[in-house]
Amino acid sequence: MIWIVCGLMFVASILYVFYLPGKVFLGPEKTRAGYLRERRDAVYENLRDLNFEYKAGKVPDADFTSLKSSLQDEAATILAEIARLEKNPAVQRGTRS
Amino acid sequence: MAEIGSFALLLALALSVYSFLAGIIALVFQNRNSQQASQPVGHAARRAAASSGSGTSLVALLRRGSERIGETARRAGVVTFAAVLLASAVLVICAFRDDFSIAYIFHHSNRDLSGPYKFAVLWSGQEGSLLFWSLLLAAYGFVLRLRYKTDPRLFAYASVVLAGVQIFFLLLVNFAANPFGILEGPLRPEGSGLNPLLQYPEMVIHPPMLYLGYVGFTVPFAFALGALIMKYPGEKWIQITRRWTMVTWAFLTCGVFLGAHWAYSVLGWGGYWGWDPVENASLMPWLTGTAFLHSVMMQEKRGMLKMWNMWLVFATFWLAILGTFLTRSGIISSVHAFAQSSIGDWFAWFLAITLIVFTFFFVKNKSHLKSEHKLESLVSRESSFLFNNLLFVLLCFTVLWGTWFPKISELVQGNKVTVGAPFYNRVAIPVALLLLILTAVGPLLAWRKTSLESLKRNFMWPAIGAIIVAVFLMITPQSWGSVFGLKPWQDISYFYSLIAIALSVLVTLTVASEFYRGGRVISKHTGQGMFASMVQLTHRNTRRYGGYIVHFGVVVVIIGFAGAAFNQDKEMEMKNGDKMTIGAYTLICRSSTEDDNPDHYSQWAMLDVYKGGKQIDTMTPERRFYHASQQTSTMPDIRSTLNEDLYVVFEGVNQDNGHPILRAHLNALVMWIWMGVWVMLIGTVLALVPNAPAPVRVPAPARLGQSTPAPVATGD
Repeated sequence: MIWIVCGLMFVASILYVFYLPGKVFLGPEKTRAGYLRERRDAVYENLRDLNFEYKAGKVPDADFTSLKSSLQDEAATILAEIARLEKNPAVQRGTRS
Repeated sequence: MAEIGSFALLLALALSVYSFLAGIIALVFQNRNSQQASQPVGHAARRAAASSGSGTSLVALLRRGSERIGETARRAGVVTFAAVLLASAVLVICAFRDDFSIAYIFHHSNRDLSGPYKFAVLWSGQEGSLLFWSLLLAAYGFVLRLRYKTDPRLFAYASVVLAGVQIFFLLLVNFAANPFGILEGPLRPEGSGLNPLLQYPEMVIHPPMLYLGYVGFTVPFAFALGALIMKYPGEKWIQITRRWTMVTWAFLTCGVFLGAHWAYSVLGWGGYWGWDPVENASLMPWLTGTAFLHSVMMQEKRGMLKMWNMWLVFATFWLAILGTFLTRSGIISSVHAFAQSSIGDWFAWFLAITLIVFTFFFVKNKSHLKSEHKLESLVSRESSFLFNNLLFVLLCFTVLWGTWFPKISELVQGNKVTVGAPFYNRVAIPVALLLLILTAVGPLLAWRKTSLESLKRNFMWPAIGAIIVAVFLMITPQSWGSVFGLKPWQDISYFYSLIAIALSVLVTLTVASEFYRGGRVISKHTGQGMFASMVQLTHRNTRRYGGYIVHFGVVVVIIGFAGAAFNQDKEMEMKNGDKMTIGAYTLICRSSTEDDNPDHYSQWAMLDVYKGGKQIDTMTPERRFYHASQQTSTMPDIRSTLNEDLYVVFEGVNQDNGHPILRAHLNALVMWIWMGVWVMLIGTVLALVPNAPAPVRVPAPARLGQSTPAPVATGD
């Protein structure tokens, strides 16, 4: 009885591991542009946070203006690189990070 | 049955080894193939293949082959869980069937043991707890491998790392600490019984919680190491592991405090934390894990502290393994170490190998972890996180040093020198107070830089509130309760308590102001009431506002800790009718008696408790002697109120006259600790709830031309 249970366990494991009838899911490979889009989203989120904190009265006007402009500059740099990569996909294929 | 369990463990080991090796092979080939695919056409092999007209198909064939090998590796990891689960189930069934032919069951169970403790036998001894470690790791791996479609390549790397750790624990349970080992000699009719200290309801859930925490940190570590090895572009891996890390942290928090509560309720010394090596072992990964939870936000938001975070997540994993090692090896004596064994060498090797592997990949790929921004100002959210991390790491190092000092001193001087609570408190109390300041200040600071005007605007009212409370506590009469009438100049512990309570008020006010300010913005835009706006605010950014609730829970815990400065205790031999007075309480011994049942022999006293001349309770502290294990255990009776705990222990009996010796403790504010932990856990659960989307407002035709309120988003 014990050996039957062990044998069944072994066979079931082998079948599950090695029987692959369909295609294997791989998903898209991450590119530099994909990474930049994530960074862009993070900067947008930072801008939204700053805006909210300003509305909540936590950030004085002068701080708000300077922080907002530096975040906007950062977003602009990222957007420019995304645009460059989208124009020339060959560049992004060779660059992983 | 034992054969099935042993076979399942061997099968699990074989599957893990396959998952590890096949996973590596698949990733190596996939890397080569993707490098080939991205190289110019001039690559020799590709050109040769192309000239034969089958270049693309060869690459495709290699790629498909490695993909399929990778898939089998993933599946092997999935089946590993099933095999370890079967082995664990077999062990539990054997415990319920009182199968004392298995040495582990014989040593940790007996026929009269109640059902929940028989289930808890799985983690009550060394072999079982290592099997339990394997089971939890396999379960985490199972979930991870089923969710691989989120990012198949990153998950494949993480899966290989997990398989590597899994192999170590399966090697242990197969060859060094096999839970299915057969007892030598004739079959025994009765087991030795479970350690009486473990026969307490919380012990049924404390180890699983702690282990879920310990084991869970393997997942963020696996992702971090995977991301480092593959030079993963971006911070997405942090987002993927964020929930894992928070859940794991919550389990570890729960485990650490359940352990403290167990020590308080069972060990009978009147305290909840004694800086015992095993307690410290659970605290260390908690400290680095908490630091990681904070600093990881800097990486997500600003692309900073990448190297630091990598080391923090590694340190957390490493300290969790070290904690398991300390608990299970008995290398350092502790009231919590329930095993003495020779598995220390295995752990030492594993810790060394993980350190070497991690350091190798860190040195190899550290250029990938360059910060994207620099610290712009010392007064900024970034710097508050940085200081927070430095303090957590300093405290962790202190605890690590103190924990290992007996071993280090033995190696250097030849004799063991143990450090006690004063050593730890000298560092822990100031660090905890500084952390409280940062908890108050941090959320009020802006990212990048904060002006003095901004600081004044956000900080003035909470600071005034804290000062008022501190002054109030000093001028009120002592008769109001333990924390009133505080004279900080009388004793350093009173000074620390006053500061801790004042800072707790500061944090509470800053947290409240965050909710109020955010709620006010939402209320202005939506026209809702303040409470509804605050609920909406929390739902729109659960991580941030759940985090604030966790901070509030920490404050409640700290107030509980601050109460320790006012503790009192008294010991007395009491015959019937004798009185003992402690604080506002008078205890009168009504009777003392003894009892015997198949499980244990017990002696206990019955005490009437009076306060203000009125009887308010009857307490029955007890001392038990367990027949099966031939061990003694105290069962303190604790009367808890918000202000203080009356804690009475039956210390023993005077052998000359048979009178019971009783010790009473009056512990201030202890209940606040347990309440604070609940608040922390509620906050963590809230932080795990997905954010509600910001409302999208479409102007109705009738309102065109009018000003339409913009959607309000909230963030960290």
